Amino acid sequence: MGSHYPAIIGVGRTKFGEHYETGPEMLIEEAWLKASESAGIERKDIDACYSSDYFLQLTNKIGIEEGFISEFSELHVPMEKTRSFSSALLNACNAVQSGRYDIVLVGGVEKMTDRWDKIRDDLMLLEDPWSYYAGCTPEANHDLMLREYIKRYQISGKSLETFDLALAHISVKNHHHARLNEYAQFQSEISVDRVLKARLNEHKSLGLFDFAPISDGATALILASSGIAKEYSKAPIWVIGSSSATDYITFPSRDDRTSFMASELAMKNALKMADINVGDIQLAEVYDQSTLLEMMAMEDLGFSQRGKAWLHIYNSCTDYEGFYEIGEKRLFVNTNGGLKADGNPLGATGGAQIFEIVKQLTGEAGNRQVNSDKKLQYGCVLELEGFGTKAYVHILARELK
Amino acid sequence: MSSEPIERRVSYIGDRLRGNRCSLCGKEYFRTKDYCGKCGRKSFGKMRDIDFFYEKGVLEVCTIVREPTNRFTKLGPYIYGIISFHNGKVRVPGRLTDCVLKDEEMDISMLEDREVVPRFRRRCATGQSDIIPTISLAFSFADEYYPYQECEIIKPRREYETPGIVGYGVYVSKFRIKESAMERSIPFIDEDAITAAVEAGKMALVHSGVDPSLIGKVYVGSESNPYAVKPIASKVAQVLKLGEEEKLDGIQSVDAVDTEFACKAATSMFKDASALVYYPRSHIPYAMVIGTDNSQAAPRDEIGGELDFFVGYGSSAFIFGMHDVIAEMEAWYSCTSDTPDFWRRDREPYPRHGGRFTGDPAYFKHIQKAATKLMEKLKLQPTDIDYFVSHQPNIRFPIKVATELGFKEDQYSAGLRVAKFGNTYSGASPIGLAAVLDEAKPSQRILIVSYGSGAGADAYCLTTTNQIKGKRFRQKFTVQHQCESEYLEYVNYNTYRRFKLGL
Repeated sequence: MGSHYPAIIGVGRTKFGEHYETGPEMLIEEAWLKASESAGIERKDIDACYSSDYFLQLTNKIGIEEGFISEFSELHVPMEKTRSFSSALLNACNAVQSGRYDIVLVGGVEKMTDRWDKIRDDLMLLEDPWSYYAGCTPEANHDLMLREYIKRYQISGKSLETFDLALAHISVKNHHHARLNEYAQFQSEISVDRVLKARLNEHKSLGLFDFAPISDGATALILASSGIAKEYSKAPIWVIGSSSATDYITFPSRDDRTSFMASELAMKNALKMADINVGDIQLAEVYDQSTLLEMMAMEDLGFSQRGKAWLHIYNSCTDYEGFYEIGEKRLFVNTNGGLKADGNPLGATGGAQIFEIVKQLTGEAGNRQVNSDKKLQYGCVLELEGFGTKAYVHILARELK
Repeated sequence: MSSEPIERRVSYIGDRLRGNRCSLCGKEYFRTKDYCGKCGRKSFGKMRDIDFFYEKGVLEVCTIVREPTNRFTKLGPYIYGIISFHNGKVRVPGRLTDCVLKDEEMDISMLEDREVVPRFRRRCATGQSDIIPTISLAFSFADEYYPYQECEIIKPRREYETPGIVGYGVYVSKFRIKESAMERSIPFIDEDAITAAVEAGKMALVHSGVDPSLIGKVYVGSESNPYAVKPIASKVAQVLKLGEEEKLDGIQSVDAVDTEFACKAATSMFKDASALVYYPRSHIPYAMVIGTDNSQAAPRDEIGGELDFFVGYGSSAFIFGMHDVIAEMEAWYSCTSDTPDFWRRDREPYPRHGGRFTGDPAYFKHIQKAATKLMEKLKLQPTDIDYFVSHQPNIRFPIKVATELGFKEDQYSAGLRVAKFGNTYSGASPIGLAAVLDEAKPSQRILIVSYGSGAGADAYCLTTTNQIKGKRFRQKFTVQHQCESEYLEYVNYNTYRRFKLGL
């Protein structure tokens, strides 16, 4: 089984943020050229392409993205389009593992700022229409989940203050990481005070600095079959776990609204496929669309016990040394700055998460290379589509055991 | 741009909050389903229709939305949350309505775990030429202004020889503006003449205990229908499930029609409804008449702006029939003349009126004529009448006309509500009638005279029966409650104009 794992032999990305002068096809071109270059492949080596974006049809009136990729790459290979980057990667892994293709281009792009005045309405396409009709916003479900969580675990008074601080620390920590990430949308530090002030101004539990921004950007990677990965790369990164799960679109209809069942299922299946334990994972890029969701991911992925992640985070962040301490374990989370500070161009976001794990595992993360006591071996990526409606987990390994 | 099929489907489900219950496992669903997700194909044909329209839910968790999506911004900040029904068997998303949030710290937990009732409202803003989106995923607290009330169908006990009023309901919003001697009701920003009509009809069903499937015709009188073409009555019929339901087609076996004659659009139909239920071959046991208006007025500094001091918002609904009558229809008289005292041209947003002529050749002449003729016909003196109700565009006119006709204050004061609600146009004299029915004793005689500009008046003489008292306890949302509730909320002039213009 092990020998059939596909490997990532090259990654590339653009800076995330606002690309006023650049169209989506130019962004994806930049990302895939970088990925191809880092993989050392030629265009003719590519057998297929999986691309991802959520909203190019709406934001840029682009209906068949594949045609644009064909036009600028002069490639006429099979191409499929998905929503999230992780979905594209999962499909690419399936195809490579089945033996159909040897080298696949996976790319994601989003151009959200091209539709600045309507993009929050567009984001409601990721919720059920009835919630939209009732007045839901892209942020409202995060607030409701927070209320459900603190009620379920009876967090109040002093504990609630600690809980609120823990979430603020997540945002501060992610900005802190992003200052060393040349591609990040926000490369500046923020303070806990600033996070709290924004909440106070809006009279809300989650404020401006708790949510990921609206971003443009593109990411790409080259996936190769196990047989030929070593021909191109001295240090390929193996995709040893690759899984997804799906839950109701309607958040209020879910039985448990204090966790994402899809994340939990996807992680379980990915670990099973990788044949490792959750404790083996040293690095995680999780989907912090809000600070709450980073905390939630700690529980959903099994790093923290249910109802405890905020305590682990709070205790780790009061004297932050670059990782979360969960018991004896050190876990490096969102070392690129997360969605909060690196940026969140939906269709490209997962590519940036993979990019980070690959860079860390290969030791090419430069001045944000994590300081681990053990040599880095396993990292995982959680990407969501919608509010926990779909979850994708990929587990990457530096060496095959 | 609105999509007609989507609006039809969303309204069909969302206005009534339709759902299903699996009779095998008991699982409940909001939205209609042919089979149960848990039980699979063996549940085909075993799903029972339910709806949450008259139910009470619990606001489990909520948040303040200060930055809504584009079509919700006019609502201002609002509370959005999850509402559960039937002890958590079903959870739906919902918005709290009738709630003006102040820009200050707010303890959300004080709102949670409280009981709420669904309210039929406009869903969100839309283009001027689009279909108006509606929904009942709007809620208000059950222990505040608008009470939770069961809608129980009660088997009629007695058939009368004369048709009459079987039940009635009034809906006036909790928002008011108070200027000098007058308080006036104003819609919340998501309300209009359509939503008020549905609410009043709902209240009439609650009060009457009539099986809605036996209502064969519904008339809705209004001069502020937000549509130039598209009846309010069809919305009322579908949401309140009037007439036999043809489920497969989503059609109600009922005749529904809108009428217009300024402020007498509804009262004019009292006689038609009475005649219809009396005619044995109609096979229509009950007919509903609704008068509803978000009374229109130009802003004060514009032509026609004088009306802006008087207009109100509200609706009333009366169910006519031959069974369990609370007030028998004794006789009527109507008169009409081509008097152009008040008008609104097509495509004009606000009406104009003939200044000082609206009183004398118009209001007073027609009301006096109708009242006098009817009393002559019945050989009645003012002293034979217990209650006198007339159209009430302001405080002065109805008192003057009552006095000139020979009525004393104790005869007209119960039905005079303009000082609390403003001029509710088509709803005005019917709301006065409802206020009288709220307190009248059996065997009392009521004379109601409406007036509609353009111009005409309808006079009706009604006599209460001894069933009037027995039905009274079924209605908590009385006219008095709507006048005096501690939950009334007063707003300033600018807010009033904003609410009135709506989404």
